[in-house]
Amino acid sequence: MQSSENVQHEVGAASPRKTLILLAVFALAGVIFAGVSTYDFVAHLDRQVHAITCSIVPGLGPKDIAGESGCHTVLMSPYSSVLRDLTWGGIPIALPALGVFAFLLFRALDLILRKRMVRAETGFMVAATALPVLTSIAYAIVSATQIGTFCKVCVGVYTSSLGVFVAAIVAHLLTRPSDERKGGGLGQWAFQWVFYFVEGLAMVALPVLLYLAFKPAYADSLLHTSGLRHPEDKYGVMLDMHSRGQVPAVEVLDPLCPACKGFSDRLAASGLGDQLQIKFVLFPLDKECNWMVDTSLHPGACAVSEAVLCAGDRASKVLAWAFAHQDSLRARGGGSSHAVYEFIKQEFPDLAGCLGQPAVKAKVNKGLRWIVANSLPVLTPQLFVRDQKLPDEDTDLGLDYVLSRMLAQGAGESRK
Amino acid sequence: MNTAMNSGKLHLVLFIATFAGVALSVSSWTRAAAVRLAETQGKAPEVATASASDMGYCSGELKVILKRVLTSCGLVAGGTSRGCQPLQARQVASMSGGDFNALFSPLADHAAIVQFDKDSADLDPAAAELIERSFADRRGASYFFVVSRASPEGSTEHNRDLSHRRGNAVLDHIRTKFQDPDIEQEVGLLWLGEEFAQLDQQFCQWRRSRTGDTCGSSELNRSSFIAWIDCRL
Repeated sequence: MQSSENVQHEVGAASPRKTLILLAVFALAGVIFAGVSTYDFVAHLDRQVHAITCSIVPGLGPKDIAGESGCHTVLMSPYSSVLRDLTWGGIPIALPALGVFAFLLFRALDLILRKRMVRAETGFMVAATALPVLTSIAYAIVSATQIGTFCKVCVGVYTSSLGVFVAAIVAHLLTRPSDERKGGGLGQWAFQWVFYFVEGLAMVALPVLLYLAFKPAYADSLLHTSGLRHPEDKYGVMLDMHSRGQVPAVEVLDPLCPACKGFSDRLAASGLGDQLQIKFVLFPLDKECNWMVDTSLHPGACAVSEAVLCAGDRASKVLAWAFAHQDSLRARGGGSSHAVYEFIKQEFPDLAGCLGQPAVKAKVNKGLRWIVANSLPVLTPQLFVRDQKLPDEDTDLGLDYVLSRMLAQGAGESRK
Repeated sequence: MNTAMNSGKLHLVLFIATFAGVALSVSSWTRAAAVRLAETQGKAPEVATASASDMGYCSGELKVILKRVLTSCGLVAGGTSRGCQPLQARQVASMSGGDFNALFSPLADHAAIVQFDKDSADLDPAAAELIERSFADRRGASYFFVVSRASPEGSTEHNRDLSHRRGNAVLDHIRTKFQDPDIEQEVGLLWLGEEFAQLDQQFCQWRRSRTGDTCGSSELNRSSFIAWIDCRL
């Protein structure tokens, strides 16, 4: 009797078993991609700069050292982690993804190694694989519409998600309904689904708890930074962006610096920017006007800074345009300022009479002198809140956590 | 019964193995980051600090002379007067006119000579434009020198006064155009009349406001020599 049942089972289960092997392969790929992404995120918890993996075949392609890849942009975007104001850097989205794919790998191996294949179990796999595929769709939309770029490792996660979902559906369809009746009643399978769900939850939640338990603590002493030596604007170089907040803040930025754009996006996404009354000081890292850099880190930034200063009340509009066209402006700036001027004039014809003139060049220079007077480091962006500097290491992943503490600390001191 | 038990054991082993793999990876990555953070605490970041420029030609000897000139001419804190007259300039420079002019030779690329009509201290449009362009091309320099002269025609007293007015014309134009709050600390005036450090023909090759005209000794010295000095004192 057992022999004939086994024979029947082997014949019926041959195809779904192969499909489950495929599912396991996709789940393993998901574990690798999510693991690489988690690793890169966690590496940045030391508040330093690290090269990150940005290859569809992790380990084979060169790492992104310069921070110019889509992977870096996505990693530093406000969407790479959650609960950022509660813990430094937040919880990376890739971490629960790692748990989900590990769970799917475990479930697939469990089913493959069993002798009996039951349809209720493959049905659970369809439900379980729907989670990563739905999350992937949501994040692909966010990447396309909010971040404006895709990361190769993320695409690997999306592909793995789709792979496990399709494989689960096929495995489910290929599993014979007759097997389900032999497996037990509906109540028993409902219990099994709840049990598997709890297992999945544990596979996701416990690594998150371990991450929170072992991640570096943020010492309060790190908040005690030096302020501005000469915060007054005696040169008239600060650009008032007419922000609605109450807390005075000064941001030092380069209009063509990708990190400044990322910082601006993160500040807006955090909601904390609404509390600040920000004034900008331009610090173009372009040797065309800045003697402090030997090579132009952001060629064309001097010409764009002139445009921002020429724009007067529309400075924020010109700055937003420059942020949106950083790549093409930098490419033009690599040739000559003239090409950058022409590109600016196409968009803002009324600035033609001001660009390149001695008065605006002198104003760019005054901004640089304000930076010299305050002995600031030669880097962008820098943010000073109530004359206290946001640590340079906290302008990306740690922004929400550190800035919210600085604002709370300042509010507490003003109440005293 | 045995099959169910084996399945349960397999299930448990697989769960523990998978979970352990994830848990060990995550905890080792986070602990490594914590260790690295602890190691870097208190270390100063390796980032340059913004500062005024200090060009290669700013030798120690040049800086000594510059400081002496700037102090006597009222630019450096502690100075008591505003601007240097010919005798003072000669005294503080402690050098011949030729050596004094040679001090400025490394500035050939971004210095300029603003030329005037005979017995006049009025700026023409080309002179005004040259002053504006030169002053705007400051980069990281700390001091702007205006060294005015007169050609030998006329009395010494008259030429001294004329060169003084020429220097002031340049300074007034800069004040009007740039509204720079630091102007009193960064623009150094020297009026030399006809008495000291007259420019010779080699300065005809430098940037001048009247490029089309003849460049004789008289035309060259009816002028204000202007230049940013890229030296930190």
